[in-house]
Amino acid sequence: MSIEISNISKTFDSFKALNDINLHIQTGELVALLGPSGSGKTTLLRIIAGLETADQGSIIFDGEDNTGKSTQDRKVGFVFQHYALFKHMTVFENIAFGLRVRPSKLRPGKEAIKKKVHELLGLVKMEELANRYPAQLSGGQRQRIALARALAVEPKVLLLDEPFGALDAKVRKDLRRWLRKLHDEYPITSVFVTHDQEEALDVADRVVILNQGKIEQIGTPEEVYDNPANPFVYNFLGNVNLFHGRVHNGKVELGSFKSSPDNNDQGRDIVSYTRPHDIEIKLEPEGKEFIGSQITFIRAVGPVVKIELVRLDNGEYIEAEISKETYRKLELKEKQTVYVRPRDFKVFIPEDYVI
Amino acid sequence: MAGSIPIQIKTAKTTPAERRAVKGSKIVPVILTAIAILFFILMLIVPLISVFAKAFEQGANLYFASITDPIAWKAIKLTLITIAITVPINTVFGLTAAWAIAKFKFKGKNVLITFIDLPFSISPVVAGLIFVLLFSTSHGLLAPLLNAWGLKIIFAPPGIILATLFVTLPFVAREIIPLMEAQGTTEEEAALTLGASGWKTFWLVTLPNIKWALLYGIMLTAARSAGEFGAVSVVSGHIRGLTNTVPLHVEILYNEYKFSAAFAVASLLTLIALINLIVKNVAHWKIKQQSKI
Repeated sequence: MSIEISNISKTFDSFKALNDINLHIQTGELVALLGPSGSGKTTLLRIIAGLETADQGSIIFDGEDNTGKSTQDRKVGFVFQHYALFKHMTVFENIAFGLRVRPSKLRPGKEAIKKKVHELLGLVKMEELANRYPAQLSGGQRQRIALARALAVEPKVLLLDEPFGALDAKVRKDLRRWLRKLHDEYPITSVFVTHDQEEALDVADRVVILNQGKIEQIGTPEEVYDNPANPFVYNFLGNVNLFHGRVHNGKVELGSFKSSPDNNDQGRDIVSYTRPHDIEIKLEPEGKEFIGSQITFIRAVGPVVKIELVRLDNGEYIEAEISKETYRKLELKEKQTVYVRPRDFKVFIPEDYVI
Repeated sequence: MAGSIPIQIKTAKTTPAERRAVKGSKIVPVILTAIAILFFILMLIVPLISVFAKAFEQGANLYFASITDPIAWKAIKLTLITIAITVPINTVFGLTAAWAIAKFKFKGKNVLITFIDLPFSISPVVAGLIFVLLFSTSHGLLAPLLNAWGLKIIFAPPGIILATLFVTLPFVAREIIPLMEAQGTTEEEAALTLGASGWKTFWLVTLPNIKWALLYGIMLTAARSAGEFGAVSVVSGHIRGLTNTVPLHVEILYNEYKFSAAFAVASLLTLIALINLIVKNVAHWKIKQQSKI
């Protein structure tokens, strides 16, 4: 089922949670709503589910206006951040709930319900835990049961509110991969909310980046990571180094570093953004664009070595990531003076940014 | 609970000063516990035993005769009727008010909470007087209406029921509001997304989550309905066999120097209190078990 979100706005007291949101989600797509806390992503998800009503705008499922429909009639599966399992029911009863509360005409028979629940327990690989209570399960198990419960009613849309937010890193990664696999097997239209950019880029077909109630950018993970629309998106999707500078004589000047720009805005202030892995480190200045810096901190855990430096000319911090191989070759030490250069960068001019 | 956290000190490293400090801190809880237990025995256990001792002082025959006496029996019946009417009404009201307060945001919420607490802060005698001033057929505010319709509320069972309703109004709501607030609304929301109607959500999700607190609230309401003296005394008129409840009957017997009979009837009220205590403990234990998530 496709979801059409048009002109949705929502205000809580005086706080504008959502401001004129327009978004089209295609049938079978897995979309991530990514944003910092307070960006309105959860509110948008709850409006799609009908748990919250929008001040204006409409929610359309497959061409049918659902704006005025109650949550019960929308046939959405919703997975809550803190699971929201029914504490007084067993795992089996939790999953069967959605089928058992149907009006008697639509309710499947006892055997059919049993079969369906066991099928779902198999899907989430928890057949042997059918008679446990939620209190007897781990966080990851609870979340899988919450997902099975949502899927039991065969929803047309699956909505997940920070589904892995309350879990530890290892379990989170496993569940992430599992959700991706599940979606590949059963391509049900899914929207999930997260503040974890890695999670969004890893799992989703498309990422919607929200900030302060507005959509900043929509695109595939590659698109938003490689071509961020603005400084916010660039910043939010990973660590970043800022180089302040000016466009001078048709050249971008960043401190002592000069480069040919893509535009001719003379004398304008600009900010250039560079990812830590795009910082090149040399022992000697191999050109005018290299900036003298002192190493303040080295962390050599894992395949990537993180290095913090301080620019000698203006005292700004630079974060760099280099391979262990390069690190060994250069024999870097703390307090050492080296020369760095952004290998690749994005320039945003305040107001009308250009990439 | 916080007081039972042990202070862990490795024995190998303790200095004499530290040992003194530890010893000193062991005496304090013992003294405090002793004081509490002593007070408890003096103020609760001894009077409780004396009620039953006095009741059976002149033998079991007189005890049962006092309870089965027609006048006493009428008082018991009136008390039971009062409980039977008060408990359902206040349970429904308590549930509705608690639901509204815990699960919704609306204007005037704090005013509603204050009003629910009002019967706690008003003296029962004043509560009784309020009803007299309203419903008395001679000088009440609604006297003309009542006289026109031939209704008698004060010095009649309806007055007793009204006064009891007023006094026991907060119990159910007060017991379940904190629990409902702590539990939030996500389980209800989950039920809604699974297609459950509002009614089914209430019966299958909300009610099971609060059932022990609700049961305890109901028990408190019933116990107070049975035992309420002040407000009921003002509106009852003390007509024997007609407007006397159990506590009022106890007072009459006592004033007539029929001590054994008075204590025999009083022991019924004491029994209710004891049952209440047991239910409270079971309910608290169950709530604790439930919240272990």
